[in-house]
Amino acid sequence: MVENRNQAIEFSDEAIRRFLLGRLNASEQPAFEQQLFSNSRLDARVHLAELDLADDYAYERISADEHVLFAERFLVSAARRHEVEVSIALHDRFAFVGSTKSTFIARARSLLRLNRLAWRYTFAVLIFILLVGGAWVIVKKEGRIKDVITKRWGRPRSPSPTVPAETNHPTNNSVPEHQTSPSPMPVHDQTAAPSVNAIIALTPAGSPNGGNIPSVKIAQQDIVRLQIALRPYEPGNYPAELLTIDGQSVFSAEATMVPKDGTAQIDFDIPARLLKPGNYQVRLSRDHLGVKQSMGRYYFRVQ
Amino acid sequence: MLPARTLHILKQEEFDRLLTWLDHDAERAGLTYEKIRWRLVAVLASRGCLCPEELADETIDRVARRVVDIQDSYVGDKAIYFLGVMNNVHHEYLKRPMTPRPPEPDDDVEAKENVHLCLEKCLDKLSPNSRRMIERYYAEDKRAKIDLRKRIAAELGIGLSTLRLRALRIREKLQMCIEQCLMSEARP
Repeated sequence: MVENRNQAIEFSDEAIRRFLLGRLNASEQPAFEQQLFSNSRLDARVHLAELDLADDYAYERISADEHVLFAERFLVSAARRHEVEVSIALHDRFAFVGSTKSTFIARARSLLRLNRLAWRYTFAVLIFILLVGGAWVIVKKEGRIKDVITKRWGRPRSPSPTVPAETNHPTNNSVPEHQTSPSPMPVHDQTAAPSVNAIIALTPAGSPNGGNIPSVKIAQQDIVRLQIALRPYEPGNYPAELLTIDGQSVFSAEATMVPKDGTAQIDFDIPARLLKPGNYQVRLSRDHLGVKQSMGRYYFRVQ
Repeated sequence: MLPARTLHILKQEEFDRLLTWLDHDAERAGLTYEKIRWRLVAVLASRGCLCPEELADETIDRVARRVVDIQDSYVGDKAIYFLGVMNNVHHEYLKRPMTPRPPEPDDDVEAKENVHLCLEKCLDKLSPNSRRMIERYYAEDKRAKIDLRKRIAAELGIGLSTLRLRALRIREKLQMCIEQCLMSEARP
């Protein structure tokens, strides 16, 4: 192929492509290299052939064999990688544009790809707006949302505003017994209040050890209700605490006040399972407009 | 980093001397330098080197260090001198233990976005005729390519090879424009 080292040799486009893919044979390669360094026309053609090959790669116009050589022999410099990136961008931008069948799809694809960054920001902003909007709705319509939830899933609550809180009972380490009797199915839209099986009327106590303190026998009761008469009626909340006679807290809750002709009755419900035989005290206080006031102690005995 | 490259770091003075040897006009010397480097990379890649850019730079470094000795006596195409030195560098490379192929650069989505954005900017800079040519030349996929190009060539009254040449020259301009655009985007 080389007749004279100084004479320009015309290489075909196909030979240039084989050079780029490292497929020239042993006799062609040195001649080609020599020409590449001395013939600026070949230099320019090789440069254009590089771009052509990069385009063919982007448009999937190279064979499986060439694909391997392309990766091993061509895609080995930063400049060529940039060329391939531009070829892929050209493909994304223009491929399918002339095809009547796929014009719409191609344009949509092109739009999505071209502005992927913009799409990302758009989605981020949309999600942010949704979150803020959701939070605003929850804050503004809290009442309505609660109503809906209550109507759909919530059962009507006991009229008592108290939220019983159990505390440790030091004298009772036993695990509460499991209720063997199945609990009755709640009737729809009816209050499923626990049954009160024992009521003790308490009076201001003297000595807790005296024989005159009221007593109760508990068996299978759910609730033991302690009733305290209040004269005169005074508005406010009435927190009550059940303690052992030694002063260990057993249970506390807000008692329910039932006004009655200028007087009032305080009901303090205690789960029966917390009570064991022995003496107990109840501390009653009144909380009105943030001012707390002790209302006395009451004693009773469990037999 | 290849071992040979760590032996000697090219001094600025040596590099300046190399450019002056290539051409007394600094701008033309720079262009010649780029062209020679590109050829070295092309040949080394064709020979199957895993790191053609490093070997090309090593070749240039060696030539730069020898310029002081040869600049007065060397006669002929200077580019050919680089080819001779490159052959030596390549021989040494083949004797070195095989190094694993460097990892492929990560698929950087943001970089691709920038290429797309720069492509749009550079397309806008093309003349209407060039733009139309590029749009049509790159429009069809796979099989339709030949038919379309024949059609375009016939419309323009030119041969297929001339059409390819024209389109690729515009493509070359786009490539340069996009590279400049990417560099300016990368600047803070």
